[in-house]
Amino acid sequence: MVIVQTDDFDAAKLTAQLRQQTAGQAGALVTFTGYVRDYAEGHGTQTLFLEHYPGMCEREIGDICQQATERWNVPEPVVVHRVGELHNSEQIVYVGVASAHRGDAFRACEFIIDALKTRAPFWKRETLASGERFWVQQRESDAEKTAQWQSEGPAS
Amino acid sequence: MSGTAINVLYFAQVAELTGTRIESWPLDKPVSGADWLAQLEARYPQLAPAQRLKLAVNQFHVKPSAVINPGDEVAVFEPVTGG
Repeated sequence: MVIVQTDDFDAAKLTAQLRQQTAGQAGALVTFTGYVRDYAEGHGTQTLFLEHYPGMCEREIGDICQQATERWNVPEPVVVHRVGELHNSEQIVYVGVASAHRGDAFRACEFIIDALKTRAPFWKRETLASGERFWVQQRESDAEKTAQWQSEGPAS
Repeated sequence: MSGTAINVLYFAQVAELTGTRIESWPLDKPVSGADWLAQLEARYPQLAPAQRLKLAVNQFHVKPSAVINPGDEVAVFEPVTGG
């Protein structure tokens, strides 16, 4: 399930739904929630604006989830990502993955959020408490993580 | 639209620098992504401060070697920063 929305989401409810859907099969459930945080020490983030490419965004995340299900035993990954104006400490993204075993669930969850950061067409614009406004630049470490997943080959 | 133009979409900082989010761009024969990007940068010199420009064709990420055909939807943006 992939949802891109402006509204906030209820992470506990999403997790409960995933648990119910996979009850009996899943021995493990791993979730990731991302929040708006201060851009840097001494530079408080006032707001974050998230722009996206409708259509491509949902398809790209769907492809990432599909790749995760082909690589690990994770039947129904859930991804919810917000767009629009977000304030400090608000939720941005949720990834939920259930699996028979914890290894697959941990790996698939990390793979999905890492791939999302370098492939899903979202762009963040920060506005600091000082009023300074700028578009966030992709971190090299994020691109490197995605490259690592590609070089690690098939799931063990 | 098909045949003689591409539909170009600009996102985030690229949209701010070009001052537009969508435009029709005349194109009557296939062109490589790299060659088209050179045309884009010639038309919008204000894109110079942008980080590496990326392309998507028909809503899929592509490399500069990819071919753009008349009728395609072409999106231009800086590296993505979601999550």
